[in-house]
Amino acid sequence: MTRPQTHYLTVREEDGKVVLELRDTWRLASLEALAASVEGLCATRPVRNGKKVVLDGSRLEALDTAGAMTALSSVERCGGTLAEVSLTGFDDRHRRIAELVARRLGERGEIPLEPPRLDPLQRVGSVTLRGLRYFVRLVSFLGECLSGLASTMVRPATLRLKECAIQFERVCVDALGIVSLVMLLIGIVVAYLFAAQIEKYGANIFIVDGVSIAMARELSPIIVAIILAGRSGSAFAAQIGSMKLNEEVDAMRVLGLSPLRVLVLPRIVALVLAMPLLTFVGDVVGVLGGMVIADRYLDVSPATFTERLQFAFSTDHLFVGLSKAPVFALFIAVIGCLKGLTVENNTRSVGINTTATVVQSIVCVILLNAGFAVVFQELGI
Amino acid sequence: MSGNGTTPIIEVDGIATRFGRQIVHEEVSFAIEPGTVVALIGASGSGKTVLLKEIIRLLRPTAGRVRLFGEDIWSTDDERQLSRIKNRFGVLFQNGALFSALTVGENVALPLRESMRLPPELVRSVVELRLRLSGLDRDVAAKMPSELSGGMVKRAGLARALALEPELLFLDEPTSGLDSINARAFDSLVRTLSDSLGLTVVLSTHDLETLEGIVDRIIVLGERRVLADGTLSEVRSSDHPWIRSYFSSRSE
Repeated sequence: MTRPQTHYLTVREEDGKVVLELRDTWRLASLEALAASVEGLCATRPVRNGKKVVLDGSRLEALDTAGAMTALSSVERCGGTLAEVSLTGFDDRHRRIAELVARRLGERGEIPLEPPRLDPLQRVGSVTLRGLRYFVRLVSFLGECLSGLASTMVRPATLRLKECAIQFERVCVDALGIVSLVMLLIGIVVAYLFAAQIEKYGANIFIVDGVSIAMARELSPIIVAIILAGRSGSAFAAQIGSMKLNEEVDAMRVLGLSPLRVLVLPRIVALVLAMPLLTFVGDVVGVLGGMVIADRYLDVSPATFTERLQFAFSTDHLFVGLSKAPVFALFIAVIGCLKGLTVENNTRSVGINTTATVVQSIVCVILLNAGFAVVFQELGI
Repeated sequence: MSGNGTTPIIEVDGIATRFGRQIVHEEVSFAIEPGTVVALIGASGSGKTVLLKEIIRLLRPTAGRVRLFGEDIWSTDDERQLSRIKNRFGVLFQNGALFSALTVGENVALPLRESMRLPPELVRSVVELRLRLSGLDRDVAAKMPSELSGGMVKRAGLARALALEPELLFLDEPTSGLDSINARAFDSLVRTLSDSLGLTVVLSTHDLETLEGIVDRIIVLGERRVLADGTLSEVRSSDHPWIRSYFSSRSE
């Protein structure tokens, strides 16, 4: 007869039964050592089926559920089953713990703790499909918004003016400071850049053409759009997303309010109105920045600057820039609102969607701008 | 409930709580013996959750002392002493408070991974044990908390609270938001755990059936103090108007 022994566990055979005697404290804190004893025992001991296995707890000092689980696993290793294990010598408290664990544990198996990992090909496929589905969803949501806007134009009374005004204040009035600051600095930097090149040819006066056209046609619309994507698009996604999470959006539907009318359209209207206005502010401030640099480094006085501006700057340039702004605004608002409405039922999703709004809006604005550049070039504007 | 030489596992001594000019508790004192299931009841706004938070050291009371396992938890800032105390109790928050970025299994494994070094296969088997003890199947482990029903969220939260073999369990409204079948099943689960593992359970509740079913002792909070304290029949026989209307409005 073999008698493998460890500190925690001894095995003996009595009357054809296998007796596993537990010693010392069987607790979570020493779980690793306990598991090792059970392993060691099983390594030295051939498993024999058909024998009755008895757990002896008479020399046990402490037991908790993790300890009981390990003790019961030694029963299974010796060929017994949890259903038929018999316990002897346990004091009341320990017996209750062991019985509860034996009852609840049933059969054991591997459990995956992490969600299943996809192989790279599956991932490419699932990301592509998700991207395509999202694109379809975006286009159809854009359609919903446009048809909502169209029906609002037919019946202006359905527009929620108060909500529009609140949103307008947030996206336009509150953004004036940051837009002015950024555009002033951009104007100055662009003017420096031109000044350094123009000076070589003594064509100082052309700083006016360069700065004003660059600001009005490209820089101001693009940079204002990027600021608003970061400032307002993300806010739309976060606001609507947390309302969705809090079931406020569902409550609205139940109360017969359309989230499209209450949440989405006012934000779109506010942003579409705000963007051209802010772009115009950006134009003016940017050109002012250029004027300062022209005066200091190129000896073009503000008076000369304005005179040249009237001559060189056709309003076409201004309208090109201002006509792009509402389109950018529409896409930023639509992406922000859609991302808000598609927040899933967990807090992490709000953060993910907010970030995605900013990234997608900026990419979208740059793509649209490239499209505009081609179209205006072909039209010769 | 006092006596036979055992030291109380929780002692709340003269707790007062004020938020600005609003007074929540003035003089709340009680002691809880190991192995009992105690319910905190009281009207909404009577400060049950606030009191629980003060006992588990989330919110500092304005005055008074709280002792857990004989140690005054508000008199020390020693991280190691506190984490030793914190590993001896588990908390089930009202809405489960499962971390939404982790699977259920990872949620339960988190306290194990944080406070002890165990090989992954042992963590996995302890997680399975916890889920089983809380009455969940093991395939729940791979799910995200957002995929669970309300009852399963509570059970998963309980599994996480049980992760480190606590001696003391705090349950904040464990049966709120559950249907009555699920609520009773959860009650009997709590009672089984308490009986088998010798757990001390402190729960706040509005559920009269929980009180009738599994609770050894009831502490009634109201009017900024403890209105009544005792077994169900003792509390029921109190002639305080709120307690009388509480029991009469629900048991008929």
